[in-house]
Amino acid sequence: MIRVALSTRMGVFLLAWLMAFSAWAQTAPEPALLYKRLPGKTLAQAIQDVKTAISSQNYTFVREQPIDSRLVPQGWEAKSVHIIYFCNFDRMNRALAIDVRAAQFLPCRITLIETAEGVELNVVNPAWVSASLGNPLLHVDCVKLKADYLAILEEAAL
Amino acid sequence: MKPWLGLLCALWLAGPAVAAPYMVSKRVDLRQALDDLTLAASNHEMSLVKVQPIDSALVKRGYDNPHVRIAFVGNETAVRWAEAADPRLLNLLPIRLSLVQRGDEVVVIADDLAPWAQEFKDSPGAPLLKALEAEIKSLLDEFVRQ
Repeated sequence: MIRVALSTRMGVFLLAWLMAFSAWAQTAPEPALLYKRLPGKTLAQAIQDVKTAISSQNYTFVREQPIDSRLVPQGWEAKSVHIIYFCNFDRMNRALAIDVRAAQFLPCRITLIETAEGVELNVVNPAWVSASLGNPLLHVDCVKLKADYLAILEEAAL
Repeated sequence: MKPWLGLLCALWLAGPAVAAPYMVSKRVDLRQALDDLTLAASNHEMSLVKVQPIDSALVKRGYDNPHVRIAFVGNETAVRWAEAADPRLLNLLPIRLSLVQRGDEVVVIADDLAPWAQEFKDSPGAPLLKALEAEIKSLLDEFVRQ
């Protein structure tokens, strides 16, 4: 009885793993970065729009800082490049339970670069990172995270 | 060997190439590991920018403790270099180090820069990636030696 139960559990795990592996092995190459241009916006407007989009996609804002915060004296930080960190605790918990290397893309991050035309939003594509980590189960979650990032970038650009 | 295990191994080997992030470990608690990392960073002309206590953030919200913290380290030189050479590389800065408590030791995992080096091999920022990779390895090696 116990052997049957164990082999059933192993079978279910194997099936889930095989499905995830199949999806992982067949995926088209992912771009390293995801971009969105916000023409005509100032950095302050873009920061506010990204914060609003984060919240509406069920993520929690963590912090916002210039790229060189604490690397240069206060007041001398870069005005044109900022980072916004955010997370969804449920997803973070799940990703870390699957594979602790998920910490490589936690918390979530968007880099905002002000240019002459407006602001460019940059994100490291979590599906690109996970494709190289070799854990098909984690990759499934990262593909979902990528979709959330794209939704946030789109909403911020409205 | 069980047949299903053989199948898994065969599939794993047939899958896409797998990167290996640089990781080191030593027998300390998280607090000591952060102190040692801060010292090692300072000896490499880097500063500890921020520690993200993922462990306490999750526990506070009722989740299991993953025993993970993220430390961000960096220096101004790398930021200015990335700005000038290839601003896309700003996404890597400050450098992220994941600290994972496992029993009586802490494992420190650095972001794997090999896929970045491959992706940006023709970029003017390629030398920056090489320099960062060398700096991270040297910093973590010093962390272990302390």
